[in-house]
Amino acid sequence: MVVQEIIDVLQAEVIAGRAKVDNDISGGYASDLLSNVMSQAKANNIWITMHSHQNIVAVAALIGLSAVIIASDVQPDKETISKADAEEIPLLLTTLPVFEVVGLLYGKGITGV
Amino acid sequence: MIRPFVADLHVHSLLSPCAEVEMTPRNIVRHAAENGIDIVAITDHNACDNVTAALEAAKGTNVTILPGMEVETKEEVHIIVLFEKMRQLKVWEQFVNQHMSGRLNDEKRFGAQFVVDAKDEFIRIKPEMLLTSLSSGLAEVCTKVSELGGICIASHVDRPANSLIAQLGFIPPDVELAAVEVSRLTSPREATIRFPAIGKLPIVTSSDAHTMGDFLSGPKMVFYIEAPILSEIQQALKGQNLRKVVVQ
Repeated sequence: MVVQEIIDVLQAEVIAGRAKVDNDISGGYASDLLSNVMSQAKANNIWITMHSHQNIVAVAALIGLSAVIIASDVQPDKETISKADAEEIPLLLTTLPVFEVVGLLYGKGITGV
Repeated sequence: MIRPFVADLHVHSLLSPCAEVEMTPRNIVRHAAENGIDIVAITDHNACDNVTAALEAAKGTNVTILPGMEVETKEEVHIIVLFEKMRQLKVWEQFVNQHMSGRLNDEKRFGAQFVVDAKDEFIRIKPEMLLTSLSSGLAEVCTKVSELGGICIASHVDRPANSLIAQLGFIPPDVELAAVEVSRLTSPREATIRFPAIGKLPIVTSSDAHTMGDFLSGPKMVFYIEAPILSEIQQALKGQNLRKVVVQ
């Protein structure tokens, strides 16, 4: 599955990294502790978080995540958006809470690590 | 003349809902004086209503109170902010009040938030919920504190909760910190190995006391400085002008 399909499922807004919406997704991860994400998430995972801080992009780039979903209508900081564009990390915004997002993704066959 | 000052830069008073009522400003000053603790920063969660009482209680003693606060940023990162003067902290307090959640404290679940005077007399209960994040992010907090002449120290970066390194993975490039603090669970030497994210920042340690037992048994630092003031502490953290800090 590629990121574009998730965008359609969630009807998410793509606020950065549009060039990479054809990234493949290997699985999903949800956490708001970035230290934990760095140690547990795997390459090409799609990550669901409530963080809006620019460090989420650095973590995503470091691991090679396919995309980051910011849930619950949280608005990212402007540095986060510009960094995600520079690093070519798709940044998806949704009004859905984390639990709903995970449920929808799981229903589409995306499982945890 | 440079001489040693024993310091604890992270102490909660009974204003913090999680602190014991024995942590009155007067009692903290008294125990500091009796135990050779020369510099104490009063750092309650997102508030500073008991600092004036501590400054007053310390008058005529050998204890210096540094005005401070433990701020919780939007990212749920805890940051110790310290100022030279109470009037700087009061300006900072206005910024904090503008970025509060608007929720009220639930005493039964979190504990009461007492404001007292220098003689331990009850003044009032602070109603706002202090044990929660402000709406201002880490970078904005650090920039604002710096503009007001204060310094920021990342609290207990070795702990799993509310630590800059746990929450954000590493120290963002746009954040100006004077130091990082490790809790009593980790020695500074261990910290540099376990948390490479600390980089070249100075490592300090404090008691993070919520009880008098914590305050007396918790880790302290010794600053080799000319006077117990923030500008001297800043030089010691940077290792400037023969000033230094020795972490126990």
